[in-house]
Amino acid sequence: MEMALLGLAAALAIGLPALATAWAQGRIGPAAAASLAEKPQLSTIAIILIAIPETMVILGFVVAVLILLRAGG
Amino acid sequence: MIVRMVRVRIAGPRSLLDTTLTVVQDLGVLHIDRPPVPESAMTDHVIARQRRHVERSLADVETALARLEVPGDTQAHGDIPASAPEAVRRARRVRRRADALTVTRASLEEQRSLLLRYGEFFRVFEALAGYELTWPDGQVFYVVLKAGAESVLPDLKRRLDEAVGGEVELLSRELSSGEWAVLILASARAAPRVSALLTASRVEELPAPAGLRDTNLRTQPAIKGRLAEIDQVLQALDRERRMLATAEGTWLSGLRTFLRDELLRLDARTQVFTAEYLFVLDGWLPFPRVSDLQQRVDRLLGPEVAMSTLGVEDWRGGVATAPVTLHNPPLFRPFEVVTRMVPLPKYGSIDPTPFVAIFFPAFFGLMVGDVGYGLMLAALAGVFWLKSNPETTLRSVATVGLACSSSAIAFGVIFGEFFGPLGHVIGLRSFFNREQATLPFLALAVALGAVHVLLGLVLAGLSAWRGGHRREAVGRGVALGMLVLTGLSLLAAFEVVPEGLITPLVVAILVSFVVLVALEGIVALIELLSTVGHILSYARIMALGTASLMLAVVANQMVGAFGSVLIGVIFALLFHLVNFAIGVFSPVIHALRLHYVEFFGEFFTPGGAEYRPLAHWHPSP
Repeated sequence: MEMALLGLAAALAIGLPALATAWAQGRIGPAAAASLAEKPQLSTIAIILIAIPETMVILGFVVAVLILLRAGG
Repeated sequence: MIVRMVRVRIAGPRSLLDTTLTVVQDLGVLHIDRPPVPESAMTDHVIARQRRHVERSLADVETALARLEVPGDTQAHGDIPASAPEAVRRARRVRRRADALTVTRASLEEQRSLLLRYGEFFRVFEALAGYELTWPDGQVFYVVLKAGAESVLPDLKRRLDEAVGGEVELLSRELSSGEWAVLILASARAAPRVSALLTASRVEELPAPAGLRDTNLRTQPAIKGRLAEIDQVLQALDRERRMLATAEGTWLSGLRTFLRDELLRLDARTQVFTAEYLFVLDGWLPFPRVSDLQQRVDRLLGPEVAMSTLGVEDWRGGVATAPVTLHNPPLFRPFEVVTRMVPLPKYGSIDPTPFVAIFFPAFFGLMVGDVGYGLMLAALAGVFWLKSNPETTLRSVATVGLACSSSAIAFGVIFGEFFGPLGHVIGLRSFFNREQATLPFLALAVALGAVHVLLGLVLAGLSAWRGGHRREAVGRGVALGMLVLTGLSLLAAFEVVPEGLITPLVVAILVSFVVLVALEGIVALIELLSTVGHILSYARIMALGTASLMLAVVANQMVGAFGSVLIGVIFALLFHLVNFAIGVFSPVIHALRLHYVEFFGEFFTPGGAEYRPLAHWHPSP
């Protein structure tokens, strides 16, 4: 039972930030694309802005790994 | 590093301004900058008129070059023509001739395509050519219907019969293009009504080509003759264009260079202060080139024109307004392409290129960390390197790619990875197994982040100290100290260093905190928390590295997952290819982000103006 809960916790740890990242990138992406159509020189800033929300899912992944390691240990 | 700039002032009689600008342009090192005079003192309406005139002439020259298909990079010397107005008139004459050739050619090409269409039209009805027409004095209508429109033909025939009472014949055949050729024969009496009906039905007749008045079924030989004639004329036009290009191309390229140079000089003129009898020209140039310019001015312009070097104290704009150009050792220079993706650093601040050259490949290598993927990237970067010209952006990107692939291979050897765990199969020994040592890998990533961000803080302190902002510099130093003390106290808590150090370390942190708030205000606390967040952000190195490894593991497991080994291998290779694409793109984006957001955020001061010296124009490579 405890293993199942830990697995669920790991899934939530990565799943919820993944949804949040997707939502944020879904809003930033079109805005970045529209900006690039008018000012192509903004490409670097656009890429960085799109990459910033990925921090959430990446840190979620790290937390999920830590939970799974605890489950394994 | 940012090249040290010196501001110089050249002053002399106004009559020597053009010569002075030519001398400056020949050397190509002086970035001309407006002298400190009111805006109203700069008169440029005369220059604007001259500029419009030069632009018009340049448009003639470039149009002629384009019409004559002279390659854009044709080398030519921008010598001053003996008579500029005469040269411009000659260029205009060449442009008009080139225009005429182009227009004639376009018209003939149009006729040719129409005749080819006619030719095909008549070919499908060739069998009828020997027959007498029902109405020898009748009129023929040629219509081409678009593909798929053949269903309207019965309706068209019915309406024509109704309109002219049977005095009409309609024949149709499909063309090779899928269109439908329709031949309508009508008596002379019925012809006007047929024409009106076609117009009302919005059915367009095939327009008769120029030079071929008689369009009927027996015109096939005439069409062939006209086509041959057009081909000959087109060949003659091509010959004339080539002869014109050979005769005028190099000269026109030279004139283009001269006019482009003239435009650059006119733009420079707008930055020069001129009074009734004198001019004052200010500008920036790299320190090592000052003596070159001084010698040229003395030798070529004589004692009437004086040049002086302005110290920072003489220049009220301050050194921060100096333009910026980067100059790094050849090993680091390709990484300027990463630095130049963000605005240039301000003059007097720090050029981060050398640090980028060290950390960017390191981060990339840690994330990819696979000999197989590293070799694939090296092959790709090698191809780009060989295909690119020196000193181009593509060459720089390829060099950065080679550095990153070397780093990926080196870390791949350390991790013992070759397309994932296949490294162990081929005998690679793992010095650090990141598949199992997840926590040590996470600690390594965060520790690397701490080093990177702390380096940023050191650079911020140095930059502030050099800029005379001593308080800010001390503040950065205290923040740095606090982070180090926090790290040490964490190590003491985990008993990596003696546990007894915790109390003195915590006391030191509290004292540092008070000092920091006293120096920079309460905002320093927010900055400190943000810096800690930046350090933790480097955990992405571990996350992406582990994810890349896991994808490689999944790819390898496909070999035995499909029953057939061959299909499994194909799927595994495809998955490895996908992982390679992800494994190149994602680490690049995140390594860039770690630099631009976490590292540059600590010390980087953007806003430097690009160093653009007045030099001769060169066609783009």
